[in-house]
Amino acid sequence: MLHVEDLVVRYGSAVAVDGVSFEVGEGEMVALVGPNGAGKSTLINAISGLVPPHSGTVACEGRIAQVPEGRQMFADMSVEDNLLLGGWSIRNRDLGEVYDLLPDLAGMRKRKAGRLSGGQQQMVAVGRALMGRPDLLAIDELSLGLAPLVVAELAEHLRFLNRERGTAVLLVEQEVTLAFDVCPRALVLEAGRVIAAGPSAELARSETVRKAYFGDLVGAETMVAATAPETSEVSR
Amino acid sequence: MGRPNPRNVVVVASAVAGCVAPFVMGDLTFLMRMLLAAIVVTGLSLLMGYAGQASLGQGAFVAAGAVTVAVGTTRWGLPPLLALVAAPFVAGAFAALVGVPLLRLRGHYLAFGTLAMLLMVQTAMSTFDFLGGAFGISGIPAFGVGGSVFADQRPYVLLALGLLALVLFVTHRIVDSRFGRGVRALAGSETAAESAGVPVMHAKLVIFALSAMYAGLAGGLSAFFTPYVSPDSFPALDSFTYVIMAVVGGLGTLWGGVVGAVLVSTLLQVLNSVTSNPDLPPTLGPILQYATYGGLLVLALLFMPRGIVPAVESGVARVAARPRAVART
Amino acid sequence: MTELVAYLISGIALGSSFALIGSGFVVVHRVTRVVNFAQGSLAIVGGMASATLLDGRLPHGLGEIAAVLLCGVVGLAVGLLAIGRRGTHPLISLIVTLGASMLISAAVIWLWGQDPVSPPGLSGSVTILGADVQRQRLLVVAATVLAFVALALFFSRSHLGKGLTASASNPFAARMVGIDVRRMGLLAFGLAGILGGLAGVLIAPSVALSFSSDLPLALSGFAAAVFGGLTSPLRTLFGGLSLGVAGQLTAGYLNGSYQTEMALFLMVVIMIVRSSAFVQEEAK
Repeated sequence: MLHVEDLVVRYGSAVAVDGVSFEVGEGEMVALVGPNGAGKSTLINAISGLVPPHSGTVACEGRIAQVPEGRQMFADMSVEDNLLLGGWSIRNRDLGEVYDLLPDLAGMRKRKAGRLSGGQQQMVAVGRALMGRPDLLAIDELSLGLAPLVVAELAEHLRFLNRERGTAVLLVEQEVTLAFDVCPRALVLEAGRVIAAGPSAELARSETVRKAYFGDLVGAETMVAATAPETSEVSR
Repeated sequence: MGRPNPRNVVVVASAVAGCVAPFVMGDLTFLMRMLLAAIVVTGLSLLMGYAGQASLGQGAFVAAGAVTVAVGTTRWGLPPLLALVAAPFVAGAFAALVGVPLLRLRGHYLAFGTLAMLLMVQTAMSTFDFLGGAFGISGIPAFGVGGSVFADQRPYVLLALGLLALVLFVTHRIVDSRFGRGVRALAGSETAAESAGVPVMHAKLVIFALSAMYAGLAGGLSAFFTPYVSPDSFPALDSFTYVIMAVVGGLGTLWGGVVGAVLVSTLLQVLNSVTSNPDLPPTLGPILQYATYGGLLVLALLFMPRGIVPAVESGVARVAARPRAVART
Repeated sequence: MTELVAYLISGIALGSSFALIGSGFVVVHRVTRVVNFAQGSLAIVGGMASATLLDGRLPHGLGEIAAVLLCGVVGLAVGLLAIGRRGTHPLISLIVTLGASMLISAAVIWLWGQDPVSPPGLSGSVTILGADVQRQRLLVVAATVLAFVALALFFSRSHLGKGLTASASNPFAARMVGIDVRRMGLLAFGLAGILGGLAGVLIAPSVALSFSSDLPLALSGFAAAVFGGLTSPLRTLFGGLSLGVAGQLTAGYLNGSYQTEMALFLMVVIMIVRSSAFVQEEAK
């Protein structure tokens, strides 16, 4: 459903995304992992149309909605207004659907978004994205700054959405265990390029992935030492 | 023999024209006002271009210099040379004083703050009789050194040319100095400059005071030239005109002030003589004047944001590069 | 006592215009970070246009509304000049609006000449607390209150108004949900034109306007907006009213010619005192 081909994104003379190609099928859940500065956020922003690509194509047969890094609330506005704004571009805005999917939001609908906790804001951000009835949810750093319990709850919501509504998910995550846990397939990004791709279970055992995360403590200790001949390594 | 730098050619030609003009032209008022504006705008261009600070009230410092000369010569009997030398220093001190609170403002707040300052200076002038009161100060003696005294307009113009050259020289030295480089960093980002070790407030104050000194110098000389100073001599529109000249000429370039002053003054003078034809409606003059001011400002900012001097320089460079490119094929 | 009431009423009426012009500054600044120097000129166009439209052409009510709508269009045009081009730095936009205000002055002189103009307003007067109050001034206050209420409702309830607020609050997120932030900026300029035009239409019958009145009006409006930190319409209303009342009281009891300077001085003091707060805002 989402086809990215030879995408290159630059900031001035620096190349943030250097010839990335991949696909996300309908109803798929795909993770995008990689160390800090690998270009994951830029890639997501380019896919959402917020950053213009230098070259290459992004084609999607459905609607994409983004859950941005750092939640990006409209802080002075209420939760309900934040949600309504998520449906800016569509005709029949239906708050009821989102409140059904994420019932906690109904309870805080009048509260100012800026006053909520990180986890609550993240839920608002997901609800806001869902208002547009997207076919693909592009999520940038779901777990950033949130407690593990909260993250687990959000992950469960994502699985539910995927099961019941068939919403595809592209999850950008620094926290590798979470990413591999939620998404059956993953891509590893480093310095703007895809250095590995394949089923998450295999990537978890891959030496390449461990090397990419060398120095990154999160998730490293859960990765098994490499003897992974079956991993498909995508060379640039 | 290399091709002479086109900018230097223009400069030399203009300087020659400038020195010859006083002996050839009849009424020199226009030329004098243009030269004085060039002095003010060179300072303003420094402030806006290099230090990135907007000032809509530069006329306040022109007034400070003019009032110094007026009060100094008529009330205190100072010799004209002393009064003229004092003018920029009084203006600079005033700017340093006012700048301490004012320069804590940035961007549009500073722009409005300087405009407010100008209006308050005007009010102060008309309120206090010492500064002239409602009717201003007249009877300022002619400028002169020792025994000799300026008899007509010509020597004033030559003095103005000399002061303009002095001001340009000083600007050139400052811009090229280490201090100047620190100031240029301000225009980019004050926080970045600060972390790079530039003493931001100090640098801003110095440039602010320096631009005020240029303005005060021009004001002082103008007080001798039109021997009359009143609150109405420094309307807000003049201060806006300085901004227009700075923008059109090229902010933050050495010659931007001169080029802007020459172009805008000439354009306005032409408009003036065209519209003062008694057959035309009397409102045509002001209409075209405002339209020109507004149009110049908008067009210059939108299409030539770096001003004429850089635009011409890059244009000439492009033309010069073309024959070489053709020869290569 | 009646004198005091008279000064208060005329101060509130005058201050209402300042508040309306100030709210124009606020609307534009919140969404675009630009200060629209032409706010004063928009008021002038409003006053002058209503004079022409009411002069035997349109009845009361329609004439004023038409004039205000015209100012909305002019405001939009100013916005196109100021932010039409992508990536114009806000300070450049400020000076562009200065240029726009001069172009408007040229048009004003061309269409209406250089003499002051005053459209007919509500005639007659009413007695309040023993003081003789012109009906026109009461209309000004009522219209201003209505305008501010309408503005508040627009921003908090309407879809478009929420889009404007969102663009001001978080431009990145606004773009992300599909809001065209630049178009919102132009809308803000149009709205500012309406507010400025309304100010001019309301004040012109009492205080004749000419092309040169734009600078004092812009300064007073900006001073009112500074009270509100260039972001809060409600505090701008309060600021404008305070300025108007303070000015009239100074004019009445002290020397009349200092009211503008008082306002300017207060404005500068407030800007400087709040300067650190402003810097934090700009950094966001």
